[in-house]
Amino acid sequence: MSAYANKRFLVIDDQPLAREALRTIAQNVGAFAVEFASNYQDAIYRIRNNAPDIILCDYVLGEGRSGQQLLEELRRFNLLSDDTIFMMVTGEQAYEQVVSAVELVPDDYIIKPFSPDKLLLRLDRIVAKKKFFAGYYQEKRKQDYAAALALLAAGRDSEAGRPYRYEILRQEAEVHLAAGDATAAEAAYRNILDNYEFPWARAGVARALHHQNKLTEARAEIDRVVASTPHYFDASDLKANICMAQGDNEEAQRVLDEVAKKTPRNYQRKRLLAQAATLNGDTATATAMMADVVANDTMPGAVSPDDQLTLARSQVNGNDLIAAEKVLLGLRESTVQNFSLAQQASYSALLALACPEKGKARFAGLRPALLATPLPGEIRLDVLRAALAAGDLELADGQARELMAGEEAKKVFSTVRKLYALHGRDADLREIQRQVALLRIHHDEPGAAPG
Amino acid sequence: MHRLLDVLASGVHDAKNQLFAAESMVAAVEAAHGVDLGEARYAIEAAAGRLSRTLTAYRLLRHGAALAVVPAVVGDLLAEVRLAQDKHLARNGIDLEVNCTVADEWPLDRDLIGDVLNNAVQNAGRHARRRVRLGADIAGAELVFTVEDDGPGFADPATTSRGGGAGLLIAERLAALHTRHGRPGRLTLGNGGDLGGARFELRLP
Repeated sequence: MSAYANKRFLVIDDQPLAREALRTIAQNVGAFAVEFASNYQDAIYRIRNNAPDIILCDYVLGEGRSGQQLLEELRRFNLLSDDTIFMMVTGEQAYEQVVSAVELVPDDYIIKPFSPDKLLLRLDRIVAKKKFFAGYYQEKRKQDYAAALALLAAGRDSEAGRPYRYEILRQEAEVHLAAGDATAAEAAYRNILDNYEFPWARAGVARALHHQNKLTEARAEIDRVVASTPHYFDASDLKANICMAQGDNEEAQRVLDEVAKKTPRNYQRKRLLAQAATLNGDTATATAMMADVVANDTMPGAVSPDDQLTLARSQVNGNDLIAAEKVLLGLRESTVQNFSLAQQASYSALLALACPEKGKARFAGLRPALLATPLPGEIRLDVLRAALAAGDLELADGQARELMAGEEAKKVFSTVRKLYALHGRDADLREIQRQVALLRIHHDEPGAAPG
Repeated sequence: MHRLLDVLASGVHDAKNQLFAAESMVAAVEAAHGVDLGEARYAIEAAAGRLSRTLTAYRLLRHGAALAVVPAVVGDLLAEVRLAQDKHLARNGIDLEVNCTVADEWPLDRDLIGDVLNNAVQNAGRHARRRVRLGADIAGAELVFTVEDDGPGFADPATTSRGGGAGLLIAERLAALHTRHGRPGRLTLGNGGDLGGARFELRLP
């Protein structure tokens, strides 16, 4: 019993009776230190300040939050060490539906009521599993993917690895993807599917195909997952990303709109929805989503300068220039000074659009860098828009050329076309497209959408 | 119909939370006074199991219920059934043997299959003289769970006339829902296993 005496437990549950019951059970397995968190924010605060060894978290946390969302947030902000045990506790079998579909799973989940002995059995197994994967986790954290894969391969062939075969295959696929080998990742996921049709593995195939820019195939795979497992919300996010890459921004927004309603406190999803709405030309939705994110994503450090830039971008798109100016000038001087070139480009372009007299000089000063440096698609769109407004055709056409020749061509095409049309330059864009098409000697999947 | 399901699910959920509170209090008393109240906890868990099973039966029979299939370590699953049942059986003079020859994971609905096995062992315990055996083996491409006892056996296996009612109905539906590469699982009830009594056999592809 005393294996857990020195471990710090954190019990997360919004119901006092259930918290007390979980504490009693934890004490019965030998726990000496058991802390409580009664809600989502409190849980994050406690985990951030003094990470527990074992977390027992109820699936239903109230206020539109779930234990699954907490788990995702903790992983996103890297607040769980490899040794920390996260156990989901649930009153019914509904969570099982979630855990069987999704990619990001807790160490285990347990259905109430359960005895101290059962909890002990489950904890012992998690400890054994973590021990088995410890070396691998270390290499993965160091991003030494070759070493990580070698350890997985050795584990797969060992007797000790027999109970973890699916987990090993899943980890292999994830490492391949992290290492940028999407073909190997696809093969690993398909290997899992040969055994059983797990939704997360099918979504993995779609993700790997997306990375290979095989968009039509990726879309077919993810459509299957979303249709068969509607409660698997991450699959909808992935589908939206694939739709955007295909230039189907309307479907991307529709899909995200649907799941965002079911997950009203998931601000990552709202960011994605804002992105889709922007590309879809729905600036009102984009602005509303980003305003919600900036005001309500209370996780410390969650609202980034990029979020502020996105909010300003949607305000500029919606022609609410005063609000955009306020957001941009509200950024701290020290923040702006520490901006990357891409952030500076967006900031100066958006400020030049929102308030030319305050932003024009800064934008002009960046011009040489903007002409010469590779930038992400959405940043180029900001620059393109500001350059067109300022009558700097060389800078604008340069951005359009890069966009049309790049991998994000389908995603941004309709936006670029609208901007050129707005300035009566449709013919010039067609000429740019022609040049790009001529330059493209051989490519499996043409990037530029037809005009 | 879905509203009714939601109402039932939420009621079962609340009841199980209260049963969990009761179980934790019993466990606290056991720890504080060094007494064994395992039978009280067993009764609480059996009540919770019965509630779950009733809800599951409703879901499976009235709705197009979907399974929640995860890779589950077969030996771990049997160990949990043993943990839940063997002390209670021992009090009634019945020995539970567990015999697992499968070291690997198998894709299955861990909690529903666990529940079905618990129910099968409980049933066997009610009719056994001294012995119940729970086993897992691989035969061809199938995982085979067996529960055998040394009791008088089924009067008529075709009608499941030992009164296992809802439990066996669930087991049958659950087996059929576990499909893999187009092949469904199946449930077979019969007599004359190694222990001479009833034999419950659940095959999953």
